[in-house]
Amino acid sequence: MMAQTIMNGLIAGSMIGLGAVGITLTYSILRFANFAHGDMISWAAYFALAVSTALGTALPGLATPVGPFSFGWSLPLGLIASIALTGLLTLLVDWLLFGKLRQRGGAVIILVMAGFGAALSLRSFLEFVFSSRPTYFTDALQIALPLFAGVRATADQMLGLGIAVVLVALVHAALTRTAAGRAMRAVSENQALAGLTGVDVSQTIRLAWLFGAALAAVAGVMAGVLVQIRPHMGHDLLLPLFAAAILGGIGSVPGAMVAGLIIGLSEALCVQFVGAEWRAAVSFVVLVAILLLRPQGLFGKQIP
Amino acid sequence: MTDSVPALQTIGLVAGYERDLPIVRGIDLAVARGEFVAILGPNGAGKSTYVKALAGTVPCFAGTVLLGGQDITQTPVHLRSGKGLGFVPQTENIFTSLSIAENLQLAADVLPKAFRRSRLEQTLSRFPDLAARPKLRAGQLSGGQRQMLAVARALVVEPQVLILDEPSAGLSPKTVGTVFAMLKEINSTGVTVILVEQNVKAALSVVERGVILVEGQLRHQGRAEALVNDPMLAALYLGAHAPQVAQR
Repeated sequence: MMAQTIMNGLIAGSMIGLGAVGITLTYSILRFANFAHGDMISWAAYFALAVSTALGTALPGLATPVGPFSFGWSLPLGLIASIALTGLLTLLVDWLLFGKLRQRGGAVIILVMAGFGAALSLRSFLEFVFSSRPTYFTDALQIALPLFAGVRATADQMLGLGIAVVLVALVHAALTRTAAGRAMRAVSENQALAGLTGVDVSQTIRLAWLFGAALAAVAGVMAGVLVQIRPHMGHDLLLPLFAAAILGGIGSVPGAMVAGLIIGLSEALCVQFVGAEWRAAVSFVVLVAILLLRPQGLFGKQIP
Repeated sequence: MTDSVPALQTIGLVAGYERDLPIVRGIDLAVARGEFVAILGPNGAGKSTYVKALAGTVPCFAGTVLLGGQDITQTPVHLRSGKGLGFVPQTENIFTSLSIAENLQLAADVLPKAFRRSRLEQTLSRFPDLAARPKLRAGQLSGGQRQMLAVARALVVEPQVLILDEPSAGLSPKTVGTVFAMLKEINSTGVTVILVEQNVKAALSVVERGVILVEGQLRHQGRAEALVNDPMLAALYLGAHAPQVAQR
C-alpha cells in the first residue's frame, strides 16, 4: 500500500515537476512570477485536444491506440502542434503585455499583476471557447499493470514519468552545454552585462518564453492524459508549481523536478495518512516553510 | 582601417539618462589606433556616463560615435562587441554563476564557430591563473582575478578598442599594479585602450594621454607625463581654483 502511494506521488510529482521547470526558467530570466503559466498549461492541453481530435476525425487510423497506451499517433502529433501554438500564444501575450511593460521599466509588482490579468483573461476565453465541462483525450480504459512489490501503474503513467525525467535531463543539458543555454543563464544573472558580451537579450527572452511554453505544453498534455482536461486544470496546479519551483531553488532545473516529485509525494502521503481534504494545503505548507527556513530553495541561489 | 582613421571618435556627443538633463554635454574626442588613454576628472564629471554611452548602455541624444570610422551611435549594445568594441564595467563585470570557461565561451559565441576554440585558447594563454581552473565558478574568484576574467572576457573577440570603467576600484595597491601592467601589455599588442580612472597617479603612470572631463565636457587633455605635474589636475582633484586652460 505504501509503495503504491509512493508510486502515485511520483507520477503526480513528475507532472508538477515539468510545470515547475517552466516556471523556474521564466522566473529566473524574466525576473517575475508569471501566474499566467498555469493557464498556458490549460491552453496547451486544449490545443493538443483540438489538433488530435481533428486528426483523428480526418484520419481515423491515427486515433487507434498504439501498443499499451490509451492514445493513438494523433496525440503525439497534437502535442507537437500544441508546443508550436502555445509558444506563439506566449509570444503574443509577451508582445501585447509583458514586453510593453518591460520597455517602460515596469516594476515587478506591475508585471505580476499583469500576469494575474492575463491568466484570468486566458482562462475565461478558454471556458468561452471550449466550455467548462471536463473532457478527455481518449475514452479508452487502461488497466494498471503490475510492476513490482504489488505496485501497479498504467503504461500512460510510466510513459509520463519517463518523458518528465528525459525532458528535465535535456533542458538541463541545453542550459549548460549550448550557446543558447549559456545566453539564458547569463541573461538571468545580469541582462546589461549579457548585452555587452554580445547576447541579444530580447531574443534570449523570447527563447525563454518558448522553452517555458514547450514545457507547459508537455505538462498540459500529460495532465490531460493522466487526469482530465478542464479550463481550470493549469490554474489549479499553480500553487504546487510555484511551491516546487521555489523549493527546488529558482533557476535550478533539476531542483524544480526533484521538488516537484517531493510535492507530489507529500500530497500522496497526505491523502493516505491525513485525509484527501488536506491535499491542497500541502503545497501551501511547503511553500511557507521553505520561504521561512531556506528562501533560496534546496538547490538554488538567492531569490532576486 | 588605416592608421589615420581614429580607432574611436566622438563628435559632439550628448548622452545621459534623461534627454532634458544630459550628463555628457558635447564631447569631441579622437583616440588613435593603438593609443592608451585615461579619462580623468572629479566625481560627477560624466566619465563613466561617457564610456557607457560609447558602449551603448546609456542613450546618446546627439552627436556621433565612430568606431574605426564606422558610425555605431545607434548600433544595439549586443552588436558592438562583434564590431570590435570591448567594454569592462566597473562592477558586476563577470557572470558569477557561470564558470571561468563559460564566461569566456559566452563572449566567444558571437564569433564564427571555426574561430571559437582557437580564440578561447589564445585568450586563456594570456591568463595562466584563469587557465589553471577553467571549471571554477567565477563567483569564487578574488577581486583581482575577477577583474582579470572581465578583461579576458572582453578580449575574446579581439577588440580594436578596449574600454574599462575604473578597473582599479576596490583592488589592493598590489593588484592595481598587476591589472595596469596587464593593460599595458594588452595595449602593446596594438589594442587601443581607454580607461576611466579615479586613481590618477596610477593611471598616468601607464597611459600615453590623459583626457580631463569636467561637468560633462572635455576641459583639458595632454601627454601623461605632462599632466602629472599639471596645476589644472591638482586644482580639479584638490578643489583649488582651477586655472583657465584652453582646450587642446
